[in-house]
Amino acid sequence: MAQPGRDEIGARRSRAVRTAWLLAAIAAVIFAGFILSGVLRS
Amino acid sequence: MSIEHTHGHEHESHASHDEHHDHKPTGFLNRWLFTTNHKDIGTLYLVFALLMFFTGGAMAMVIRAELFMPGLQLVEPDFFNQMTTMHALIMVFGAVMPAWVGFANWQIPMMIGAPDMALPRMNNWSFWILPFAFTMLLSTLFMDSGGPAAGWTLYPPLSLQTGQSFAFVVFAVHMMGISSIMGSINVIATIMNMRAPGMTLLRMPLFVWTWLITAFLLIAVMPVLAGAVTMLLTDHFFGTSFFNAAGGGDPVMFQHIFWFFGHPEVYIMILPAFGVVSEIIPTFARKPLFGYTAMVYATASIAFLSFIVWAHHMFTVGMPLTGELYFMYATMLIAVPTGVKVFNWVSTMWQGSMTFETPMLFAIGFVVLFTIGGLSGLMLAITAADLQYHDTYFVVAHFHYVLVPGSVFALMAGAYYWLPKWTGHMYSEKWGKLHFWLSAISVNILFFPQHYLGLAGMPRRIPDYSTQFADFNMISSIGGFIFGASQLIFVGVIVHCVYKSRRAASGRVWEGARGLEWILPSPAPYHSFNTPPVIDASTVAHADAAH
Repeated sequence: MAQPGRDEIGARRSRAVRTAWLLAAIAAVIFAGFILSGVLRS
Repeated sequence: MSIEHTHGHEHESHASHDEHHDHKPTGFLNRWLFTTNHKDIGTLYLVFALLMFFTGGAMAMVIRAELFMPGLQLVEPDFFNQMTTMHALIMVFGAVMPAWVGFANWQIPMMIGAPDMALPRMNNWSFWILPFAFTMLLSTLFMDSGGPAAGWTLYPPLSLQTGQSFAFVVFAVHMMGISSIMGSINVIATIMNMRAPGMTLLRMPLFVWTWLITAFLLIAVMPVLAGAVTMLLTDHFFGTSFFNAAGGGDPVMFQHIFWFFGHPEVYIMILPAFGVVSEIIPTFARKPLFGYTAMVYATASIAFLSFIVWAHHMFTVGMPLTGELYFMYATMLIAVPTGVKVFNWVSTMWQGSMTFETPMLFAIGFVVLFTIGGLSGLMLAITAADLQYHDTYFVVAHFHYVLVPGSVFALMAGAYYWLPKWTGHMYSEKWGKLHFWLSAISVNILFFPQHYLGLAGMPRRIPDYSTQFADFNMISSIGGFIFGASQLIFVGVIVHCVYKSRRAASGRVWEGARGLEWILPSPAPYHSFNTPPVIDASTVAHADAAH
């Protein structure tokens, strides 16, 4: 099986950063959504 | 049986290659404050969690000392309430959760063949937020208005009667949440992007699987808690009425939001425990895990169900009958995937060549005692019966069985299991087993009588009680003191293992162990798997799981 070098691992870290931003955005939307639902309800 | 001084396995060349890159930063600050190394950060989390475990434990001792006899003995009722609240907040957010993140940091990169976590600098930040959060939380005990005293659920209107210190509590919860979310993002990003070639999802160790699912739970629910406490903050200090009935708000709405977070939170604390136990039992039964894929699907099922059962915490609040029935049946459904897990652990042990080293003892203790907690949970799920049990010591007994001989025993099991890998030394089996037996006996003396207290009607969160509850409370307190003292043995075992033990551990440590962490030497080199390992049937436990 081919072994990835350090460049490949660097590319994986770049993909990981994109994953992280996506997950952070989801968390932010959930937070804002609950606050907004509270505002609209009260 | 452990293997000592034997380094002659097939992956030695790989391991020694890694050792050549073992450059630790010099200086205390460089090494610990600025570290981006997953093993160092894992150690920081674990040490922090242990400190919080003893801080929260000291509060538990105050609670049990006060309840040793009827009447007010040692502390004022308001301080007692602060103790119960802080004990819970510290144990949940300061001890159990950071301990699991510590395990994740140490183990996940090694188990999937990655050189480190995907986002090492964020990893550092995730940890170093925590000491500040808990310093702020603990500081409220010394403020004029005292610490939070409304229980960890922070229900309004009671929690809004906390004085000015409430702002500190809310901000501390925000910081814990940010830390947890960043830690979870890191876990998911690492597992989804950093696995070694050939480490497919269905070849991953169960501990990695359970943490992946736990991380998704955390990202989904921690913002919900953050939203809830933010609304409490504005109700308290800025005149809003989210939960203030006098201003058109709804205090019951807080309970729904809190438990939408709170119930998955319970599984956040227990799913990694399932993962650790699923690693340990096959090792000491010397058999592959029975039903690996079923375990993965059961974990995912439990996580899904945890989102749709929250109102079983609120049966006495009042809700439509159809709602009560729905939440009762949905809650009972959780017994199915949980039963699959217990069945698979027992089946793994069935006809295995079992030995009973300390990690295995804690793992078996977990299976037996966690199941007791699960069964009392089923009793609480019965809506009609819950009207009797609600807010009694039966509930206290239930969740402590799930969390102490559940989560905490699994943490102990995992610590003993991987301690030789982390330190390069074997711990003392004699003292480890003494720690187990004292803990296992005393934890039952501590919590089992609380079932009877609850069924007899003793309410939770009270500093004084009717004399009819005196005997069981005294027994429970004695169990508590023995359990608390027993944990000092754990500290002694760790300190001895790290600094004094002369018994070097081999790479594989346990003869039945399978997985990538065991192809590394012990202690695991500072930088491991800079070159990804070769994944084959001899290196992973579940190489054929997908077939």
